[in-house]
Amino acid sequence: MKRCLTLILAMVMLSSLFLSATAQEDTSLKDILDNGKLILGLDASFPPMGFVDADTGEIVGFDIDLAREVCARLGVELVTQPIDWAAKEMELNAHHIDCIWNGMTITPDRLENMSISLPYLRNDQVLVTRTEDGYGNLSDLAGKKLGIQAGSSANDALDAAEDFKASLGEVVPFDENLTALMDLNQGGLDMVLVDVIVANYYMAVNDYPFTVLDESLAPEEYGIGFRRGDTALCNKVNELLLDMREDGTLAKISEEWFGKDITIIGEAE
Amino acid sequence: MKYFNNPDRLVSLLWQLWQGLGVTMSLFGFTLLFSLPLGLALALLRMSRHKALRLPVQLFILVMRGTPLILQVFTVYFVLPMIFGAAFERLTAVVIAFVMNYAAYFAEIYRGGVQAVPVGQREAAHVLGFTRSQAFMRIILPQVIKRIVLPVSNEVITLVKDTALVTAVGMVELYRVARNAASTVGSLEPLFIAGAVYLLINAVVSFLFNRVNRYFSYYQG
Amino acid sequence: MLQAENITKRYADNKVLRGVSLRVDRGEVVAVIGPSGSGKSTLLRCLIDLERVDGGRIMVGGETLVDSQAGGYAGKAALRRVILKMGFVFQSFNLFPHLTVLRNVTEAQERVLKRSKREARERAIEVLDKVGLSDKASEYPYMLSGGQQQRVAIARALAMDPQMLCFDEPTSALDPLLTMEVLRVIKGLAEEDRTMLVVTHEMAFAREVADRVVFMKEGTVRCEGTPEEVFDHPEVRAFSSQAPKP
Repeated sequence: MKRCLTLILAMVMLSSLFLSATAQEDTSLKDILDNGKLILGLDASFPPMGFVDADTGEIVGFDIDLAREVCARLGVELVTQPIDWAAKEMELNAHHIDCIWNGMTITPDRLENMSISLPYLRNDQVLVTRTEDGYGNLSDLAGKKLGIQAGSSANDALDAAEDFKASLGEVVPFDENLTALMDLNQGGLDMVLVDVIVANYYMAVNDYPFTVLDESLAPEEYGIGFRRGDTALCNKVNELLLDMREDGTLAKISEEWFGKDITIIGEAE
Repeated sequence: MKYFNNPDRLVSLLWQLWQGLGVTMSLFGFTLLFSLPLGLALALLRMSRHKALRLPVQLFILVMRGTPLILQVFTVYFVLPMIFGAAFERLTAVVIAFVMNYAAYFAEIYRGGVQAVPVGQREAAHVLGFTRSQAFMRIILPQVIKRIVLPVSNEVITLVKDTALVTAVGMVELYRVARNAASTVGSLEPLFIAGAVYLLINAVVSFLFNRVNRYFSYYQG
Repeated sequence: MLQAENITKRYADNKVLRGVSLRVDRGEVVAVIGPSGSGKSTLLRCLIDLERVDGGRIMVGGETLVDSQAGGYAGKAALRRVILKMGFVFQSFNLFPHLTVLRNVTEAQERVLKRSKREARERAIEVLDKVGLSDKASEYPYMLSGGQQQRVAIARALAMDPQMLCFDEPTSALDPLLTMEVLRVIKGLAEEDRTMLVVTHEMAFAREVADRVVFMKEGTVRCEGTPEEVFDHPEVRAFSSQAPKP
């Protein structure tokens, strides 16, 4: 179903690119300030970046806290808008949301279609295995079964690691990271390729007997996505994030969620 | 078991599911409210003697029944605003798509029901001097209703499950709430709880339709 | 009362009626007999606008239903007036299954003749009494036997106070026992000096009750006259000898 969705959305998106307005004056920042709110689009099932608190039912997360701080500094209200992840560019271009801020991996394709902020978090696609199996490095995993979330950036990472991918016995797609990890726990898989941040979250929540391999696949970075022409808004957000780094707010939020400062705003490549 | 010994959390989940259910129910309610009469109108046009009325409706029904509902939802929500400039609110957009889709299905059900009424009924009405519209309202339509109770109930049950589709345009209805909760707590329990709610809804729907069916058994033939 | 001249009708290549003329005077009972496919039912249905003729003239009670040489069919209002002059009883009864027997008889009175509820009800009970079914007024059609249903159908037609009654093979769908009770009712009506046109297979009944008999075959009238005259006709004798004796 998800693949079918993506196909349909790709078609719709293509047509939207042809129909969208040509270059005009960039009023993106002004519009947000005038409206008094920034609409943040997210898939609220991506802990710990953006998810639904089980006890309060509120949308919370690292990205939410960052966004709330940025909005406070802009003097606007933060509005969270759940969307379907596969439709994120469409929602953005249709002006239903103003930004995508949900642990979004920066990829060449996305750079072409959106204005993306400075990278703010490094993410690694890591291999999670059962501790008892005692796997040490990539070569140990030859011929084994790998679980992966369909349509996620983990797939790009896997494709980039051609040799490793070729060495695998089977690649099994899942709709959710959670179900992939559950299958790993049951023994249906030998490993799962997933964002290290997500892996750590579920390992903590469920006390899974897993080990994350040291050797990771392509490292990636998270960024905030804006509409292609909204450079004014994007630049302003970058500015504010750099401010937050300077005065330590960024580090504080990171420590709350991850126990330490793992943000990378403004670091040289 | 993430909810078993955590009643507060369970209550919170149930409250979220309740709100998601509200979204599901309003979509369900609005769709039925508008598509049932619209379907009748379409059926009448479809049976019209004038080609100018009949053919466009035939085409509409063909397209609505022949393409996936999810695609229709996307078209209304994403594509129409691009062409016409105005954007629809999420609920409005999905209601529009759902109403058009289900009206097409109901139209064919109505038409089947009307055609199943024996021609002798129309003839009897004719010789007694009823006008066409009198005959339709007083003689034909009441007999149609009895015949279509079962097919309509099937569509209604399908509708309950179709409401989960709107998760694709970011609406947080029952299924989506459950999925989010599952991601947060790291277990599939919320999905099963949501499944129980769907089952409950459909049980109520089935029960109501059985009552309706029994009511119409006051006569046979 | 009723005058049909030179009626022609075709279904695709099949000439069902080839220039049929028929006359029914006030107070007369006319029986139309003939083999299947002779067009007698079609003719009857044309008289009440259930079918449309290709050519010919039909006049009922002085009003024109259709005149193919002078304007074709009458307008809606005139059509309704003509239809209401006649009561029609179908071979398959065609009662309204979702209404009680009483409502079957009152519905058209109220909607078409605009009678008050009370008026319609009184008249309904009157006619149901006449056909011997007033005790079944609150039952639904499916609960009744075929003969009872047909009698209700007759009552339904009578309640509209038509000037003339038409019967399209009223007993053909009934077994012999039920046939008797319906024929008895029709005979009773004939004795009241009503104008009636009956298409039927029941030879003995036609002979007994009709003032005039019309014999049709292959879309034309082969002979007509008093029962004695017609039943003596060689063609009719050939036809009736094939029919089972009552």
